Amino acid sequence: MADPLAQFEIERYVPILVGNADLSFTNSSLWMVVSAGAVYGLVMLGTRHHAMVPGRLQSVVELTYEFVADLVRENAGKEGMAYFPAVFTLFTFILMGNSLGVIPGIFTFTSHIIVTFTLAMGVFLGVTALGFWLHGWRFLSFFVPPGAPKLMIPVLVPIEILSYCFRPISLSIRLFVNMMAGHTMLKVFAGFIIALGVFGVAPLAVNVALTAFEIGVAFLQAYIFTVLTCIYLHDAIHMH
Amino acid sequence: MGKLLSTAGLFAVFAARLAAAAGDAEAEGGGLPQLDVSTYPSQIFWLILSFAVLYYLLTRKALPRVAEILEARQDRIAADLDRAARLRQEAEDTLRRYNAMIEEAQARARTLLHTAQERIASEFAERQAALEKELHDRIREAEERIAAAREKALAEIDEVAAELVQAAAQRLASLKITRKDARAAVARVAGE
Repeated sequence: MADPLAQFEIERYVPILVGNADLSFTNSSLWMVVSAGAVYGLVMLGTRHHAMVPGRLQSVVELTYEFVADLVRENAGKEGMAYFPAVFTLFTFILMGNSLGVIPGIFTFTSHIIVTFTLAMGVFLGVTALGFWLHGWRFLSFFVPPGAPKLMIPVLVPIEILSYCFRPISLSIRLFVNMMAGHTMLKVFAGFIIALGVFGVAPLAVNVALTAFEIGVAFLQAYIFTVLTCIYLHDAIHMH
Repeated sequence: MGKLLSTAGLFAVFAARLAAAAGDAEAEGGGLPQLDVSTYPSQIFWLILSFAVLYYLLTRKALPRVAEILEARQDRIAADLDRAARLRQEAEDTLRRYNAMIEEAQARARTLLHTAQERIASEFAERQAALEKELHDRIREAEERIAAAREKALAEIDEVAAELVQAAAQRLASLKITRKDARAAVARVAGE
């Protein structure tokens, strides 16, 4: 039986070395580039007619656009709309990576902790910088819970800061673990199909169901990542 | 874009340091591929590159195009609703004007009818009165004429009687009497 973790192996397609750093073009890089290209291509293809009454693809593009726009408006407020393009890019890029990954044989770059952590760190640093940029040092008052008794502040502030700093970790681990667990499970059951002979129909059926489930997870995790980003954005803009 | 690229560069340098530090730990193998630090620089680099390029392309071209389409539709719907409201207002105005016109016409028709009725009634009364007067006149005239005729007839009857008396006296008695005597005799008999 094949190793269910082999699918996460990084394969170097084009070795690139810049100084000491190995920036090789890998299977992960390939699907990142394909995802980015697919998102851009679909949006451009869908809107090429500028139709007043949208066709199927244009509807998909418009629905996605409005879905993300509503998400930002509802969770980060009107002022958050300034960062809509970043949130849209984040959502569509993760969604495309997750969904393409469900297709057998395609590498899922969001199943690597370093990818999700880099994305989460980008969100975290960007949002924190935005908070300081908008509010200056007053942004630090964000860590003092409103209405807390004065005596409790020395205890509460470190907790608040700690929970704030854990945001990128929970954000990245949630996405990475979900993608990795789903794909590992698919592979484990796939391994049983041949091994069980005729009775392999059972794990095959499980895999069919799991694949449907994974499509849901692919969307849901992209959605959760985006919603949390919007909520962090809200904190940075409005503080509480 | 420049800022993003420089951030990407910074990340690449950081990742390269990390990779160099973990260089000797790479040899272990067989572990979770996700924990293979040697792949991190490449993943971080390509992630930031593809994300940045996608962000740039979406911001510059794709998203404005979608926004433009949605806005155009929104404008079109708003314009249509506007026009519908204007047309409706116009229709209501027309209806109001039409109703006013009908009311005015009805009022005019009523007054016309009223005056016509009055005129007909007065004319009728006038004619009736004239007719009555004429009939009355004719009746009186006729009565007068009858009375005159009667008087004349009465006057003539004496003369005829006198003539008759004269003629009768001549034939029967061969008496020649004057018309004067005959008249006196008739008057004497008529007087009895």
